[in-house]
Amino acid sequence: MSADTAGPETLGSLSTEPEHQDPNSQQAKEIAGKSPMRIALGRLAKDKIAVVCAVVVLFFIICAVFAGPISAAFGVSLETPLASERVDGLNQGLPKPEMGPPNGPFTMEHPMGVAPRTGEDNLAYWLYGCRVSLLIAATATLFASVVGVIVGLLAGFLGGAVDKMLSFFIDMFLTIPFLLAALTIAPIINDRFNLSDNYGTIQKTALIVVLSIFGWMGTARLIRGEVLALREREFVQAARVMGMPTRRILFKELLPNLAAPIIISISLMLPTFVALEAGLAFLGIGVTDGVSWGQTILKATNLTFFREYPQYLWQPLLGIVALVLSLNLLGDAVRDALDPKTRR
Amino acid sequence: MTQDPNARAQIEPTEVGANAAEAGDRQLTAERSPETPDAYGSHEIGVEGLDFATLAEQGHTATMLDPLAPAVLSVDNLKMYFPVKSSGVVRRTIGHVQAVDGISFEVPKGGSLGLVGESGCGKSTTGRLITRLYKPTGGSMMFDGHDLAKLSAREMKPLRRDVQMIFQDPYTSLNPRHTVGAIVGAPLEVHKIVPKNKVLPRVQELLEIVGLNPEHYNRYPNEFSGGQRQRIGIARALTLNPKVLVADEPVSALDVSIQAQVVNLLQDIQTEFDVSFLFIAHDLAIVRHFCPEVAVMYLGKIVEIGDRETIYGRPHHPYTQALLSAVPDVKQAAVGGRRERIRLEGDVPSPINPPSGCRFRTRCQFAQEICAKVEPPLLQIGQRHKVACHFAGELGSHPATPVTTELLGVDDQGSPVAGATPSNTQLTIPGYEDTWYDLRTKQTTGA
Repeated sequence: MSADTAGPETLGSLSTEPEHQDPNSQQAKEIAGKSPMRIALGRLAKDKIAVVCAVVVLFFIICAVFAGPISAAFGVSLETPLASERVDGLNQGLPKPEMGPPNGPFTMEHPMGVAPRTGEDNLAYWLYGCRVSLLIAATATLFASVVGVIVGLLAGFLGGAVDKMLSFFIDMFLTIPFLLAALTIAPIINDRFNLSDNYGTIQKTALIVVLSIFGWMGTARLIRGEVLALREREFVQAARVMGMPTRRILFKELLPNLAAPIIISISLMLPTFVALEAGLAFLGIGVTDGVSWGQTILKATNLTFFREYPQYLWQPLLGIVALVLSLNLLGDAVRDALDPKTRR
Repeated sequence: MTQDPNARAQIEPTEVGANAAEAGDRQLTAERSPETPDAYGSHEIGVEGLDFATLAEQGHTATMLDPLAPAVLSVDNLKMYFPVKSSGVVRRTIGHVQAVDGISFEVPKGGSLGLVGESGCGKSTTGRLITRLYKPTGGSMMFDGHDLAKLSAREMKPLRRDVQMIFQDPYTSLNPRHTVGAIVGAPLEVHKIVPKNKVLPRVQELLEIVGLNPEHYNRYPNEFSGGQRQRIGIARALTLNPKVLVADEPVSALDVSIQAQVVNLLQDIQTEFDVSFLFIAHDLAIVRHFCPEVAVMYLGKIVEIGDRETIYGRPHHPYTQALLSAVPDVKQAAVGGRRERIRLEGDVPSPINPPSGCRFRTRCQFAQEICAKVEPPLLQIGQRHKVACHFAGELGSHPATPVTTELLGVDDQGSPVAGATPSNTQLTIPGYEDTWYDLRTKQTTGA
């Protein structure tokens, strides 16, 4: 009730000598500062959805990287077999019962069954399709974000005529309809290189180029906006006052502050490109040699196959949905982890 | 028990306030018990067993003027016009913001010049011109035999070591993604002064100078408080051993208790490293404490410049008088009663199209016709006192007729007098002349 109750005794524990620490002790060394990035990672690790999504993404990455060894371990391969050994030509080309579903029981020889008509192994195609999908999406994301970041940095920081010119290019590329351009480029590439030995590689490279060319504008705009805001902060002026060259200001002072928007745009670009790659392959203007989820879906949408053998369609579809969904959710979680207190 | 905290210290209520403390009037009779937590941080050495006056004397008294100190930076007729562009496809320049319009001053070696004025009067622009964040439109800034105003960015780089800046907002002036060590050590790396492995010892030394734990070099700015961040900013400015430090409102973003710490730190640095300060602030009390010389700016021009005692004791320009009357006075509050306050009407006019003649005339209670016609020269009217006003005089004794008519060769209405030649021999120079124009005798006199 009165102030007297809070005597010196009750406060005794508070007024004891503060523990004096030797600044050179091991303990003091361990209290080194946490970077904003490490704080964000800690926050990410506490997010259950993020952890689950990260595990799923990791699973796909392992599948893609070790597609060869995993196929070998299951004893399957991409080779085209003698179709009559595996599929029943009299039954609309569906797999024979001993090849597993839909007509027979599960068999370890072909864990995901074989394709109708050709009898190719589904697991091998799924694994290599995953590799193609991730490879193209990751490379295109890398190129698109590097171009986007550099264009955004220069446009935002230098301003003036440079900004006007670069912004014009951003807007110009945004006006070109992506699908139309891709549909136009595909036959040109096809016509030019279809006799080449490494037609497959050229096709994939062309796809990466197309995806990058039409993917960098979003990042560039985002980064430009961020740089416009950062440029006016006093630490940039402090860097100028100390005589720091512009290149160093851009890459050492500004770039670390752009980690959050860059990571976010990457995490949103990756699933988009995975879906686009499959979509283009389905339309026949991406990878056309068959080793792609989109191409598998194209084959599986035959009505007879879907009625009799729906697993054939579900396998690549599940792969795409799981990968895109987990990448998207992971991107959202990363944004949440980075966003709230980076302004401190 | 009384609620009055002064009762225990046995001071007269009239003596409360910073002035009493400065003059050493206050005597603390209560012995300081060793358990009393003191106001010093753990990094500062507290002085035990001294009375307040001695303590204040040992600590931080107001900086004294050294009238013989040579000028380290001398700014002459500095101008900065920002173009105003029209909207539309062809962006023509339709006018200029005359942010700084012909100012001249000197920063003495090891001394400090205070720059005060309203928001938007060009104080910060002046600071940024000196650090060459902007390239001036005209004028010169002589430093160490170089004219900073004319140097290119490349030629400026070696001189940047000598001219550094402390920024206003400690929350945006430190890069949140760099450790304190990287921030403070960056100038060393940019100028490649010391080998890479010597950077860390220097950083730790600097952190110790500004009163931070040197082991905290690997922490990030978000782990520090506002005052500590400002100390980091000061350490960064000190890294290159500058000769001139431009302090752009270094304490206005901090709360009052921290302001004192930072100002004391700046004073220590000044005495220890012989740094000259251009101290930009709008807090008149802090400027009074820190700067033996003060310049008052209004709308891009210096209206009055002089030593501390003159500016605060006998201001001659109506604007300075209005500024000073707006400062709340603790002494006055303790005595009670109202103080006469000069209230300025209206807003600061647009610097794009400033008023003709004297720029202050639109808000000045003494303004007459001459003020609209002739711009008053920045006239030296004392040994270390210059003022730009036709009716310069102490508060309450402004002359009825313009004091500058003879010098400018005009009549009382500001029209040129036929046959009269302007006898103003004073040119506006950065420093002070040996002779000055005496307002009472209207003669040029000397010391």
